[in-house]
Amino acid sequence: MISSIVFINHKGEILIYRVYKDDITRSETTQFCAKIVATKENKECPIINIDGTSFIHITIKDIVVLATTKVNVNVAMTLQFLYQLVKVCRAYFGGEFDENCIKKHFVLIYEILDEVMDYGVPQIADADLLKKYIQEGGLKPELMNDVEKLKQLTSQATGATSWRPPNLVYRKNEVYLDVIESVNVLMSVKGTILKADVAGSIQVKCLLSGMPECKFGMNDKLLMQREPRKPGQTTTDKGITIDDLKFHQCVKLPKFDKERAITFIPPDGQFELMTYRITENINLPFKIMPVYNELGKNKLEIRVKIKSIFEKNLFATNLAIKIPVPKNTANVNTNSAIGKAKHEPDQQGVIWRIKKYPGDFEALLRCEIDLGQTTNQQPWIKPPISMEFQVPMFTASGLRVRFLRIYEKAGYKPTKWIRYITKAGEYLHRL
Amino acid sequence: MAYFGNNPQRGELQELYADLNDLNFEKKKEAVKKVIAYMTVGKDVSDLFQSVIKCLEFNDIEMKKLIYLYIVNYSRQKPDDAIMVIQNFRKDVRKSENPLVRALAIRTFGCLRVPKLNEYLIEPLKDCIQDDDPYVRKTAVLCVPKVYEVSPEICPPLLDILQKLLEKESNALVLANLIQSMREIEVVSGKQIINLNQKIIQKLLLAVDECIEWGQIFILDYLATYNPQDSKQAEVIIERTLPRLSHINPTVTFCAVKVILKYLDFLDNGELVKNLCKKVAPSLISLLSWNQPEVQYTILRNISLILQKFPILFENDVKVFFCSFNEPYYIKYEKLDIMVRICDSKNFAQVLNELLIYLNEADPHFVRKTIKSIGKIAITYDKALDKAVSILAEFAKNIQSPTEPAQELLIQMQLIYKKSKQMYKHEDSLKIIYSIIDYANEPESKSACAWIVGEFGEFIPKSVEKMKEYIDNFQMEDRLVQLQLLTSAVQLYLKYPSQCSVLIQQLIVSAKDSFNPDVRDRTYIYWRLLSTDPEIVKNLVCFNSGTFSNFSKDLRLWETQDLVLALENMGSISNLFHKLPHQLYKNIKIKVNNQQEVKIYKGEEKPEAQVKEQQDENQQNIQKEQQQDIDLLNFDDPPANNNKNNNSNKTDVFELI
Repeated sequence: MISSIVFINHKGEILIYRVYKDDITRSETTQFCAKIVATKENKECPIINIDGTSFIHITIKDIVVLATTKVNVNVAMTLQFLYQLVKVCRAYFGGEFDENCIKKHFVLIYEILDEVMDYGVPQIADADLLKKYIQEGGLKPELMNDVEKLKQLTSQATGATSWRPPNLVYRKNEVYLDVIESVNVLMSVKGTILKADVAGSIQVKCLLSGMPECKFGMNDKLLMQREPRKPGQTTTDKGITIDDLKFHQCVKLPKFDKERAITFIPPDGQFELMTYRITENINLPFKIMPVYNELGKNKLEIRVKIKSIFEKNLFATNLAIKIPVPKNTANVNTNSAIGKAKHEPDQQGVIWRIKKYPGDFEALLRCEIDLGQTTNQQPWIKPPISMEFQVPMFTASGLRVRFLRIYEKAGYKPTKWIRYITKAGEYLHRL
Repeated sequence: MAYFGNNPQRGELQELYADLNDLNFEKKKEAVKKVIAYMTVGKDVSDLFQSVIKCLEFNDIEMKKLIYLYIVNYSRQKPDDAIMVIQNFRKDVRKSENPLVRALAIRTFGCLRVPKLNEYLIEPLKDCIQDDDPYVRKTAVLCVPKVYEVSPEICPPLLDILQKLLEKESNALVLANLIQSMREIEVVSGKQIINLNQKIIQKLLLAVDECIEWGQIFILDYLATYNPQDSKQAEVIIERTLPRLSHINPTVTFCAVKVILKYLDFLDNGELVKNLCKKVAPSLISLLSWNQPEVQYTILRNISLILQKFPILFENDVKVFFCSFNEPYYIKYEKLDIMVRICDSKNFAQVLNELLIYLNEADPHFVRKTIKSIGKIAITYDKALDKAVSILAEFAKNIQSPTEPAQELLIQMQLIYKKSKQMYKHEDSLKIIYSIIDYANEPESKSACAWIVGEFGEFIPKSVEKMKEYIDNFQMEDRLVQLQLLTSAVQLYLKYPSQCSVLIQQLIVSAKDSFNPDVRDRTYIYWRLLSTDPEIVKNLVCFNSGTFSNFSKDLRLWETQDLVLALENMGSISNLFHKLPHQLYKNIKIKVNNQQEVKIYKGEEKPEAQVKEQQDENQQNIQKEQQQDIDLLNFDDPPANNNKNNNSNKTDVFELI
């Protein structure tokens, strides 16, 4: 499969070099470093073939993480593995991944590389699990000599619930749920919606004892239709249509496929239970209405009206609306009733920031733009207006968590917490 | 900390040597780390081999791993020294109670890759494959291909054990590694090693539910190469694969899509096929918006294949391929390409509206490709002509320099006019195009301009002067432009004989002695014909747009008969380059597609007969294409000589002269 894994810095110097198969020479890799990484030519494309060797790589900040191969591997898997590898490193280095910490922890990285891949075939690459038997400075001698503990460890690692260690104990059993939605929307110049979708994610922080079995329910239309109606009960909530769901490995997928029920034995601590995608009936929290005028040869006017479309008792926070301006902008006069708007030349735009914005409310910003002299005759290519915001306690898709049931032998009653938030993903309005 | 620093100074090796042999354990360990650091930067530290392996006597697992890494790196340079470590490995494998140590030893043992050492490996390896601990088994199983690659002759007993294990292993992870390991051996040996039966397939399907994500990928990847015996079996496998569509790892989902799509061919039940398509489509679309652009790219590169065999999956979904403003360009190029392929007589307006926006992009290559795409759509769909010409004409108004997009615009306008001459009136397009004609600076675009001047001579003010300008520079032009100029000048002469007679003579004088035989021959033919019978020339050079049939409606990338094999390899490197495995890798055998007919899955509207007709048409096209070696990746028009196959004699002569 994969012949080698290499970490390279932006100058094209090799930081970590681990070979899994003999079919590759170091000079082939240095050739890639010299040709591609150092010159930045073609670097964007994630797969490059040079003389029969395929170089599959991702770039994380300044570091290129590279896998080489001479056979017909599954590229998507290889890329995914590289991302997973970076995730594992980050988990060990407290979230960091840069040249310094790679150099500082190179012994540990070699240990990790030895474990996560064997003969070029990806193996166990779950950071929580790896941390149990790979630690900086070597394992504690107690563990090394305790055969029973080791057996337990290997059977967890190779077993069907590798993500959860047995015998966890919490004095207070708690579960935190976060429903995070990002809204992606693209509006045309005239304000019609060209593309809109919600990419949602449910994050769980799980502090539970033992081996709890959880069952999770949302107002998923397909699921609610299956449920028998209780007599006399009329519900107005018919549920929402979810285009697609993707689950953490702990969720029992066959059960979901058959019954559309989400059941799982959770990992310990924080994890992403699921992601989902919705394209129907999206409640866009903001409407953007721009007007663009050329007032003369060297003067432009852009007026942007925004309107919040959610309930009055809710608030959006940290709004930032970016209105693009031409490169040769000399001066911008802004005028708005709320928030602060400022021309930021490095962003090539006027950024209008509003800390807190109530529901069902309209605000207007007027920008007068003076243009400087320029030799460039090309007309200005107008990028779209973009927007950032957060609306707590609101879901653009209308998704609601209906229940989270937890069954455990001990029969404890855990405390459950839930939060909703909607953020702007790519929230764009063409100008 | 012992990282890199500079290159080892003179004497550093001696220093390391001293530290490695020091009695102090910590000093030894630091020295080993330093050795590994030097190894990383490519410095040769093989001379320290003996000193390093002496450090193995300590029972420190971190140091052990580093030393093993060192040994693996240099064992082939120092086979005789490596023999000394054999005892260490055998001791670890046989005596250690710690499964991690056993696994580590067998894993490293396999990587020594020295033929004469492998015979010492066989026995311990057999033990490990049958170890009680699944962690050791999963490692040992992967050790077999390592040995096989170096010493295949001693492996037959190991292969037997593997096959037995395949039947009785119950741990999902071991099973997944086992399948992958046997596939690796199949690649090296070129023989079939895995013998499947009903029971093993059942086990594999069960294992998919239980093992880690990579294991799921190995098994699904393998199942995609298997041909089910009947519809029933295909149905079972599909049913067990369906849940994987909801896995959070996009590659697992993608492999599941692959398995399901492949097995659809084997199903009898048409209703079921339709339902399955409905389930697969949303999963696939989610993958397209996956937040890692590299992964997204690999999936996009496979879409053309899926589109060709399963048009039904993206029927109403051209929108998902719209580009975002902030996406990297390599993604945008792919999406643009797919949008053209997915465009049809119903959604072309939507696509053109979107392409219109891309004309504002900053990257000139991308804008060029957008213009090309607009042209392609226009000449493929009659109804799209008006809109496309309006868009292009509007864009032309803003051209003020010989940019790349300007070149493409001229080329595409020529093609559009060739397809439908009447378009010159639409939105005054001819006038606008003529105003930018001086910005042409590539042979292709210049030749397009020459064509336009000749063809529309009567509608262009001062066309004769323009032609004179061209002919004055005749010698400096590219062959392509020269050929077109000859034809266009003759055309113009026929329209304005008196004004052009001097011009034609000038042209013949400068062209008749050309070093290029094509140019010379064409000059002589025109010359003789003009002096004998101008009427014949008229028939020859005056273009009749109805007969120009070089507009294939077919944007297919793959040969129809290759689809099945390509589908099996979805996600692999060869597919990413739009090739079959054996075209990219010399050592892979050509796999013959036994299926007589390749099923294409379309939406419902088209009646059966029409589909069949289209298939026949496709068949014909394939035959045509087989005769020529056209780069299908590049959706340029095929080279001019493929008009050989055209029936119309007129165009035939026109193009070939």
